[in-house]
Amino acid sequence: MMLQYFQRLASVTEARISKYPHQPNARKKFALEIAKLGIRLYSGEHRVAWCGVVAPFDVLSAMNVTSCFVEFVGAMLASTGTVGMFLEESEHAGFAADTCGYHRAVLGAAMKGMMPVPDIMIATTCPCSGGLAAMENLARTFKKELFVLDVPSSDTSESVRYLADQYKNMMRFVSDRIGGSIDEDRLRESIVKSNRARELMIEVYRLAQHVPSPANGQSLANFGIVMALFLGTDAGIEIAQAYKDEYEEMIRNGKSGVPDEKIRLLWLQNRIQFKHPLIRLLEEEYQAAIVIDELNDITWDAIDPDDPFTSIARRTITTPLNGKISQRLDHIQRLSKLYKVDGAVNPCHWGCRQGTGARGLIQAGLKEVGVPVVNLEVDCVDTRNFAEGQLRTRLEAFMEMLRSNPTAHGA
Amino acid sequence: MYYLGVDLGSLSCDAVLLDHDGGVLASSVVLTGARNREAIAKATDAVLRLAGITEDQIRATVSTGYGRDRVEKRLAAVTEITCHARGIKSLFGGAQILIDIGGQDSKAVRLDPNGQVIDFAMNDKCAAGTGRFLEAMARALQVDIEELADLDLGASGNVTLSSMCTVFAESEVVSLIADGVEVREIVSGLNRAIASRIVALVRRVAPMSNGLSIAMSGGVAHNSGVVRALSQAFETAISVPPKPDTVGALGAALIAREKYARQS
Ligand code: SF4
Repeated sequence: MMLQYFQRLASVTEARISKYPHQPNARKKFALEIAKLGIRLYSGEHRVAWCGVVAPFDVLSAMNVTSCFVEFVGAMLASTGTVGMFLEESEHAGFAADTCGYHRAVLGAAMKGMMPVPDIMIATTCPCSGGLAAMENLARTFKKELFVLDVPSSDTSESVRYLADQYKNMMRFVSDRIGGSIDEDRLRESIVKSNRARELMIEVYRLAQHVPSPANGQSLANFGIVMALFLGTDAGIEIAQAYKDEYEEMIRNGKSGVPDEKIRLLWLQNRIQFKHPLIRLLEEEYQAAIVIDELNDITWDAIDPDDPFTSIARRTITTPLNGKISQRLDHIQRLSKLYKVDGAVNPCHWGCRQGTGARGLIQAGLKEVGVPVVNLEVDCVDTRNFAEGQLRTRLEAFMEMLRSNPTAHGA
Repeated sequence: MYYLGVDLGSLSCDAVLLDHDGGVLASSVVLTGARNREAIAKATDAVLRLAGITEDQIRATVSTGYGRDRVEKRLAAVTEITCHARGIKSLFGGAQILIDIGGQDSKAVRLDPNGQVIDFAMNDKCAAGTGRFLEAMARALQVDIEELADLDLGASGNVTLSSMCTVFAESEVVSLIADGVEVREIVSGLNRAIASRIVALVRRVAPMSNGLSIAMSGGVAHNSGVVRALSQAFETAISVPPKPDTVGALGAALIAREKYARQS
């Protein structure tokens, strides 16, 4: 089912791109690469690694392994509208219904045989312990040994060294399982590509800051987190280039992502992954654009090709959701100012302690910089929990508040 | 020239009709039931009849409530948060905090001196402590919902409910009755449980609510026992208008009048 889904997505998207071959087609190219990744994961023809969210995907790609974080599958199942049966499967097997839907979905998919058996499994302790537990469960289901990358929370030289050493062990772990030795030249080539994609992504984010923004509610949804999967590849560079071209062209032509943009929003943490009417409501009724997502940022320096693991360790440690909440707050305060946002939307994804534990601190922290927050309390994966009326009221009241009182503080 | 506000809530559909100067001509409250359109027509017809005018004399209608998009012939649909704030401002000019407990949700709204919403919080996806909760408890106690209001009088307050989940609380009430606990103690326990949830909601918009002027709207404000428990919890008197369930519709009608004036 998943293979056919990705194949159909690829052919439909290719057809759409070929209709307008001279346009940048940024979002479509992004979707096409997602489809191609899905095909590689599910075709049975490639070496596959199921990973945690912050695994070094460019290193794994240099080792010729198609790698992906498992939460991606949860998000894809939600976007296809079929997630309910997988959630039920895991709940029937005893997984608590109030844990993160990304993990419940993926565990249910594995139980139903909808996840290809991987060659390798690499968990990461960041962003959440739920992810680690899900990976341990999956490793049992697949009868695979699990390699765990223990991500330290602070950016000190000892922490960086500690994580960098683990990458070397991880590479040995991978090469022991797929055979062959590590090709230094391939790794270097991959690093160069990651750095190029990084430069382009910085440009894309800089362009998105423009007032009015070329970004609308959907164009950069899931961008930062999924682009990590394409680092080290030509696809990553092409996607970022297409966004840069598209945004530059829009700004040149005086076009904005949301026509007549009136409200600029910051979206915290993850998007709602299934089809829902809220983004369109924001755009059409309130001319509100989501100009920045918390996870759409480059927080890392270019990777040193002569010492890649140190730089990659720093890249992982500086991930926005890693470490102390005060770091997260500094980051979202900085983004709020850079993107000149009027308000922030915190989905408070059901079951995510990582995301919702800091709800009050986030609200207070954004208040300090004059940015009100609306807390949605939505399950970003589980369509069965979607209370559209409640969510509409929260968002619409927030929009009314922002429109009538630009200095309002909170929701 | 007349202005209409219609609040289509989960339990009741309310309408308020204003005259040219913004004075209230008539108001009505009907049960929403299963057919929204019928409820809207009934509530509207009632105010037209009371005021002795016809529908074509209405210049503008603003709808609110969870079913706000189902009201046809509307100039705009505005959320109940904004409408309740606008309504309460017209009744209690000095209100700084508004507590609105309706049929299936509760809200705390922080108002600035001009009556603008500067912060709000809603209950988290659960009807505990709302009108539906009280309905279920009245059922368990085998009394009418209106009777609940004064049943707590004279209670010593020594019963505390351990669950606010509507289902669990209902069975807890049943077992308290079976244990011979006095009804007034049970009702007092229910009211205090609701008050404690509302205090938590208000803290989210006003961490220090001491000294702030608090008003209440929504159908649950008819229940004087809940209002008493809230006054005790906040250690201040709570202002309740005579028709708390029509505050949202009143706000909607006031907004209709303002919007119409701005447009023409
Ligand atoms: S949403 Fe929260 S719990 Fe779920 S994977 Fe992300 S960080 Fe972990």
